[in-house]
Amino acid sequence: MRKLFITRKLFVTIVLAGVALGSLSRPVFAQAPSKEEKRRLILKGSKLWPVYCNQCHNARPPGEKAPYEWDQEIMHMRMLGNIPADDARALVEYLKTR
Amino acid sequence: MSAERLFSTFLFAFAVAALSLAGPARAADSDGTDAVAMKQIRSEIRQMREERKRDREVIRSLEIKVQQLETKDSKVQAGTQHLQNTDQRLKETTLELQQTNVQVKTLQTKVDAPIAPSQFASDFGRYLGSHTFQITGAAGFNFVYDQQSGALDGLHHATQNTFFFNFEPMFLYRPADWILFEGELEGSFGQAGTAVDLPLADFQITLNDYMMIVAGLFDQPFGDWYENQSPMWVNRFVSAPLPFGVEAVVPPSEIGLQLRGGLQWGDLGQDVDYTVWGGNGPNFSESVPGAAIGGPTAIASSLTNGKSIGARVRFYPLPLDEHLGRLELGASTYNGKWMNGHWFNSWGVDFNYFNGNLQMRGEWVQAYRQMPSNFSQDNRQGWYLQAGYFLNGLNVPGFPDKLNSYIHRLEPLVRYSGVNQHGVAIDDIHGATGVGVGGLQVGLIPDFGLSGSPALFAPHSREVALGLDYWVAPSIVWQNEFDIELPRAGGVFVSSTGASTPAGSIPNDHAFLTQFTVGF
Repeated sequence: MRKLFITRKLFVTIVLAGVALGSLSRPVFAQAPSKEEKRRLILKGSKLWPVYCNQCHNARPPGEKAPYEWDQEIMHMRMLGNIPADDARALVEYLKTR
Repeated sequence: MSAERLFSTFLFAFAVAALSLAGPARAADSDGTDAVAMKQIRSEIRQMREERKRDREVIRSLEIKVQQLETKDSKVQAGTQHLQNTDQRLKETTLELQQTNVQVKTLQTKVDAPIAPSQFASDFGRYLGSHTFQITGAAGFNFVYDQQSGALDGLHHATQNTFFFNFEPMFLYRPADWILFEGELEGSFGQAGTAVDLPLADFQITLNDYMMIVAGLFDQPFGDWYENQSPMWVNRFVSAPLPFGVEAVVPPSEIGLQLRGGLQWGDLGQDVDYTVWGGNGPNFSESVPGAAIGGPTAIASSLTNGKSIGARVRFYPLPLDEHLGRLELGASTYNGKWMNGHWFNSWGVDFNYFNGNLQMRGEWVQAYRQMPSNFSQDNRQGWYLQAGYFLNGLNVPGFPDKLNSYIHRLEPLVRYSGVNQHGVAIDDIHGATGVGVGGLQVGLIPDFGLSGSPALFAPHSREVALGLDYWVAPSIVWQNEFDIELPRAGGVFVSSTGASTPAGSIPNDHAFLTQFTVGF
């Protein structure tokens, strides 16, 4: 019983710490990238797309979905794959080039 | 001397002579003519007065005219000033018109010019609004044939020969760039009838680059299977590997809260990520050993009255630029309480490797279930190892190009999986509960993606699955699977009262499953 109590406290502490830190940090997709930054992300995304996506399932071609749908899909996939934030941004920008 | 000068001199001399003769004559008549002269002078004076009077009148009239002219002149000057002002305004108006014309022409040029893609995307984005919504998911149609060549001891058997349909729409709603809602419904039509389930419903909140929160009903983040491989168009096979099928070793879903994230620790591709979570805990169909494990239930039950915690880490050691492929190494643990404080502990390791046409994956899962004092501990272990290879680089000599293009779409697969447990609850084998634990039907009646073979329920089940997928498109596939069930002897079947009987020998079995799936 004592063990479970400790682990619960630990879990709640981690979650609260995460929320606190999160409130101090910038949102991931908040700002549109500059032209140069967008170019960097697209180049990076073109390298990541055939590897990261194919690791779990066949990579879906960029033209399959509308740009706003890729925003949602990659947000969802970022969660499932715990993809690093910059890599997720790169994948979105690449997939939106169609 | 010229003739003209001579004529002038003559005229001058003649005049002088005439004057010298007139002077003496006038002196002689002066007395008689004075009165006349005076009269004439007076007359002249009167005339002069009259002339003066007329002159004054003329002057007066002229003065009036001058005044009138001056008045007119001032009016003319005022009119001229007005005209000048009007002219200035006209010039300004003309300038404004010229500028307006330039602006109109510029706008016309913009209107006539084709819209740039970026501009169109921006405009379309505004048209769609900031709250976006889409439906994704999958649909599948399959056929199962299982001859069930032999029954488990004491149980019926029958040949399965059945069509199924399954529809799993997933709703994604993104009200802001930091929050996403996902919800999935599952509707299936099978032998037990039509059933609807709610496998997923959660909020995904992005805190920062390293942290996300997931809150709601979610796939168990334990291992790779439930979260990443279970969607029907993602799973390379029709069926699930044994540790994640009817004899699941860990619960397939959980309701609770996750904190997760990932970061790059080295070169591009060298990542590490984590997931920690807590929830309502595991649920078992019965309190006897070998009972089927499931996710949280909405019904208050003594079989699921404890909370749970879990953690998972994944490590990616290979840099992307080295072109060595992508290797994932993972470890998971999930622990909770059920039935008034009895522990359920589990852990697992997994890997997957992807390089070009080759993909391999495997998992090992172990679970310990603390039982009431009258039962022995309910321990389970399961594993699977899977490999597939795309033939898109294979050109068979002598085959026409058209035939080779079909071969390029094929992916042969093989999978070996197994589960070991001491006992299996006999009620779970008997039961035909529609969509059962975690969306999978429990019992010998098959379900979508499940052959229903009795061999799956053996305490020591083993299965070799051979697959051949034909990929129409990256998310449209025709899958074919041939299962060879090779259960080992041993173990017991446990009744609802806890009485156990030896499982005896369990016959081998074969099953064929074919499925057409579209992921959207």
